[in-house]
Amino acid sequence: MTGTLHSVDQYLNVKLLNVKVINPEKYPQLIALKNCFVRGSVVRYIQIPPEHVDTELLQDATRRENAPASSKK
Amino acid sequence: MSEPTNTGTPQVPETAAPEDTKRTPSDFLKSVLGRPAVVKLNSGIEYRGVLACLDGYLNIAMEQTQEFGLDGQLKATYGDCFIRGNNVLHISSQAKRKTGL
Amino acid sequence: MEEPLDLIRLSIDERVYVKCRGSRELRGKLHAYDQHLNMILGEVEETVTTTEIDEETDEEIVKKQTRKVGMLFVRGDIIVLVSPPLRTT
Repeated sequence: MTGTLHSVDQYLNVKLLNVKVINPEKYPQLIALKNCFVRGSVVRYIQIPPEHVDTELLQDATRRENAPASSKK
Repeated sequence: MSEPTNTGTPQVPETAAPEDTKRTPSDFLKSVLGRPAVVKLNSGIEYRGVLACLDGYLNIAMEQTQEFGLDGQLKATYGDCFIRGNNVLHISSQAKRKTGL
Repeated sequence: MEEPLDLIRLSIDERVYVKCRGSRELRGKLHAYDQHLNMILGEVEETVTTTEIDEETDEEIVKKQTRKVGMLFVRGDIIVLVSPPLRTT
């Protein structure tokens, strides 16, 4: 269901390097996996280490991106 | 790219006749704005509330919303809620069954 | 309020309730979102509801499992409904 340590994305496709399977009892077939590429459309969640996230920056960026009353596109 | 032939019929016929016959879906939606409405989702869940606003994806903002499960039971209420448009099966204007909490 | 997404913009930095596909519910603080409704939520509590039928009694057994996640990216396409915290009107 979840791995750790990722490196790239765009389209929200994700490349994971040095994968660890969090739930090996449930997914024994994945234990041997070292690196993998996950198609973005099948992703449900990505857990992020909170200490690496500047939440104020995110909030400001979001407010700017979705600026009110300007109907772009 | 063909020439606009003919009679100059306007593309959106405003001439249409007694108002109600020639209405587009978006005319309908505009008429429901601000009114009680029922939104049914693909999953079968229904939401009853006041339609606050809509966008082109059928994303919906509703107020005083009541959520009804597949069995018709009241499951939850929300003061405001946003419904992602891709889940919407239909929007209906009647406000029958105004169940209390 | 002009468009539905405004409702979500107004909920930035607030705790929101998110109903997802597959009987999943999330409660967390909204840090970021985009037009697809991809979101980043903080201090998230995820509730997964499952129902099983007891073979002997034919009764439905409803199970709720919850877990906490510090920071979560949620892909927009699983989201069904978003509701801001209840405000006093």
